[in-house]
Amino acid sequence: MSPMPDCRLPAGGLIDRNITLNFSFDGIAMQCYSGDTLASALLANGQHLVARSLKYHHPRGIVSAGLEEPSALVTVTDQYGSTPNLKVTEVVMRDGLTVTSQNNHPSLKRDYGRFLKLGGSALSAGFYYKTFLWPKQAWHKYFAPIIRNLAGQGRVDPTPDHAYYDKRRKFCDVLVIGSGPAGCAAALTAAQGGATTILIEQDHILGGSLLYTQDSIDGLNATDWAADTSEALHALSNVTVMTRTLAFGQYDHGLIQAIETGKDGDINRAIMWKIRARKIILATGAIERPVVFPGNDKPGIMLANAVCQYIRRFAVSPGTRAVVAVAAEEDRLRAIAAMQDAGIEIAAILSPGDQIISATGRLHVNAVTWKNDKGQRQRTKCDLVVMSAGWMPTAHIFAQMGEKLTFHAETQSFLPSLPEQSHHHIDPVGGARGVLHMDACLADGKASAHDAMADFNMHKHLDLPRPAVAPAPIQGFERGKGKAFIDFQNDVTTADIALAQREGYGHIELTKRYTTLGMGTDQGKTSWTNGLLEMLSISDMEAAEIGHTTYRPPYSPVSIGALVGTETGQQMTPIRHTPFHKGFADLGCVFQTSGDWLYSRYFPQPDETMAAAIKREALAVRNSLGCVDMSTLGKIDIYGADAMLFLSRLYCNDFSTLKTGKLRYVLMLREDGYVLDDGTISRLGEHHFHLTITTANAGKVWQYLKKAAMVDWPELDVTLTSVSDQWASLAIAGPYARDLLSALKPDFDVSPAGLPFASVRIGHLDGYPVRVFGVSFSGELSYEINIPSGYADALLSMVMEHGKAWNITPYGLETLDVLRIEKGHLSIGTEIDGRRTADDLGLGKMLSRKKDFVGRALSQRPAMIAGGRQQLIGLISEQDEPIPHAAHLSDTELDQNGCAESLGYLTASIYSPVMDHYIALGFLKNGRQRVGDTVWAHSPIAGQSIRLKVTSSCFYDPEGGRYRG
Amino acid sequence: MLLITCPHCGPRDESEFSYGGARRIWPDHDANPDQTETAMLDWHQTLYLSPNPSGPLTEIWYHGGGCECWVEIIRNTKDHSISNRQKGRAS
Ligand SMILES: [Zn+2]
Repeated sequence: MSPMPDCRLPAGGLIDRNITLNFSFDGIAMQCYSGDTLASALLANGQHLVARSLKYHHPRGIVSAGLEEPSALVTVTDQYGSTPNLKVTEVVMRDGLTVTSQNNHPSLKRDYGRFLKLGGSALSAGFYYKTFLWPKQAWHKYFAPIIRNLAGQGRVDPTPDHAYYDKRRKFCDVLVIGSGPAGCAAALTAAQGGATTILIEQDHILGGSLLYTQDSIDGLNATDWAADTSEALHALSNVTVMTRTLAFGQYDHGLIQAIETGKDGDINRAIMWKIRARKIILATGAIERPVVFPGNDKPGIMLANAVCQYIRRFAVSPGTRAVVAVAAEEDRLRAIAAMQDAGIEIAAILSPGDQIISATGRLHVNAVTWKNDKGQRQRTKCDLVVMSAGWMPTAHIFAQMGEKLTFHAETQSFLPSLPEQSHHHIDPVGGARGVLHMDACLADGKASAHDAMADFNMHKHLDLPRPAVAPAPIQGFERGKGKAFIDFQNDVTTADIALAQREGYGHIELTKRYTTLGMGTDQGKTSWTNGLLEMLSISDMEAAEIGHTTYRPPYSPVSIGALVGTETGQQMTPIRHTPFHKGFADLGCVFQTSGDWLYSRYFPQPDETMAAAIKREALAVRNSLGCVDMSTLGKIDIYGADAMLFLSRLYCNDFSTLKTGKLRYVLMLREDGYVLDDGTISRLGEHHFHLTITTANAGKVWQYLKKAAMVDWPELDVTLTSVSDQWASLAIAGPYARDLLSALKPDFDVSPAGLPFASVRIGHLDGYPVRVFGVSFSGELSYEINIPSGYADALLSMVMEHGKAWNITPYGLETLDVLRIEKGHLSIGTEIDGRRTADDLGLGKMLSRKKDFVGRALSQRPAMIAGGRQQLIGLISEQDEPIPHAAHLSDTELDQNGCAESLGYLTASIYSPVMDHYIALGFLKNGRQRVGDTVWAHSPIAGQSIRLKVTSSCFYDPEGGRYRG
Repeated sequence: MLLITCPHCGPRDESEFSYGGARRIWPDHDANPDQTETAMLDWHQTLYLSPNPSGPLTEIWYHGGGCECWVEIIRNTKDHSISNRQKGRAS
């Protein structure tokens, strides 16, 4: 293999020749300098062929020098892993990168995809539409296996990404996006006028087009002026300069989102910025339009400004013998001057109006054939074609907020509306609104910044004139017959556009989807105007009628890691520990996540199974004493002269007679009459209440209460305070609960008369401040002891120590569930599932008839009070066999198709230790009238059908003697 | 991504808020509870037939990422311009 040609020019360029960087491309070691992009680095090594195209697997090279690059996508591997589909023009070189080409089977130079006959008519526009319709089996049997193997752009690295990412925010008066002449002038003007200014540049240095021009500003070479300006902006205290930062989207109220890519050595690989600005000056410049002619996709065919950039900025010669096809004279002369400086031979200069018949060459362009205006056919050898059909403004970010761009015949472009007509936060300047000449761009940026500051009353209105837009070249190039590409990334040709028109997909949005024009990672940055002009040339529509497709963020691909930021793992869903967490862990607790919480599940003894532990814990509560963590309940302190009125409007039962020191089980309906939540209300004083909310609804009901107090009835005197985290809550339950409470040295009467069921006491246990609530979820005599969270350990130690006398058994969520099912108590999400009326749950009597409350009116709707609704019932296994979860209830056996009419379903099924029997809760049509009947429970998932006997939903101690003590 | 002015916290990003929908005024709570038919129609109207104008809409947002208060704003659904109508109170 011959050594790589060295295409680096001996002098010049904004590169640091003292710092050599190593990288590899498809396994070949290469070198470049600090300041190179991957594109200039590859070209310096003579590597033009860098990719295979998506559909036809054509050899592709580097077309541009910016983020508009459609063709040269590669996979880059660094210390964090590999990233596919990076544009070589966007990757700032650092040492040690491994670069690999994509879409090649088996190699870039020899690709089988070309020979699979897929390149022909099979993959023309509408291929996917047609293949899915006909023939029926063709997709699965023939196309899919081949295309799956060949298609796609790169491969995603499946290994975890260990790099850091972050999200941050900034605010400013003036945000300037882009640092070419217009952006630099705008930022300087705003900053010198005293506005807080942020300048964002996607490149790693400021200057944009100034970095490769020979023009001068204020007597200075423009590139030096850019460097001076950069220095001046960095020195100003009211300016933040952000390089390597891509603004990718505009959102409401002056928000721009941008991704800053970290430098080598930065902690964060990328940072997502959310920047709010009072004024956004969009100075994103313009993108050069390729010329459409047969063979225009070959490596070695480049945009004119890219050729200038590689020569002037990177000191790289992209060829040795060039054909120039540049429509605008000024651009043509610039490109020729640059190539002459680089010693590139100019083989031919085509004139607008010439017909380009073809470009040839297998892996690189080697000749161009054309007809001149006299009809003479000419052909010349070359290794570089410099093309330009004109310019397209980069107004994507302007248009993302739904503002339409208007077609402007003089520029052959869609332009943003003029600043004076715009009421937006955003003002496009320079190339982004069709102003092309450097001096005009400088003036435009300055005028826009002055306008912004006058709007802020930072100085008077100067009414500086806004420069006129630059007209498009009067004449372009004609083309011969053959595959002429419009969209390089998606391999869309002129023939595809014509086919879409013929087949009725002429609407711009349909053409896009039918041909894939403008899709992909470049979103048609180089292809869109050419596509539109092609449509114009073959249809009778006007440009304004055709319009443009919708612009959406991101403007250019962004790292998903940066969008995620730090929100991964526990930073995404933090785990909440209750105040008893450590104490329970010391007792051997097995925990489980329940919503945000890590909740105690059960407390196994050595070599004990979960089932055995649950049985032991449940029997301990029923026969002696247990304790359980209730801290996750929502707890709200309610105070105010109207507190009782407030609560009575929100909860459906009547508790107007509730006395201080007493509590009540309460039920809350939604506005539509279905049950929302249950809990308890304790009256601590005349105007002071303590409310509990179920764990699952704690956040939701808190919001709901706040809304009621602030929005619905602001006239009520009521103050809500969430005290969920302030109180740790431990329930002691079992026949000896009162004995334990006495042993804990209370300073209040805990006798049956002094602390009966459904009462609350504020006092002390052994000197610790507590609130003791006589409530029972287990059905046993039980007290919920609330203690300030910081004393949780002390309370648990006391309870465990004094509870030894009754062999106190800590229990968790599993046993809690067993005990409540035995009692037929409700659980949020299982029985109270958002579709149940109070009557469905057997709580119809709780609805007060004496007052109004939220949900009352709509709970009386005919369908909600009609007969035949499913009602909560209990079920017992007739054969005493385990009951399959979530089985459906029916009066009939499954028919031969495995079907039966469902009359309801199970919500919970367990083995009941105290009854030594399998039991379940469920909903059954007219269930309460069916007590004593036998029904089928079918579980197709478990493959089981068993017979169950319908009972009351309360299996255990229905008279309630036990919890009253 | 709206910028919503909270009367307690100042202008804050939309991501700190959750949407509470159009501001609805519930039928009078102290009306005679026996008038079920009328009440049902009133509640039905308020709950299910919320305003959905192309233009200014009075709506409520919950500032869960800040002061945990509800904020009432008037948002123009055409262009997202916002004016605050704050008779709010801390609660
Ligand atoms: Zn707030």
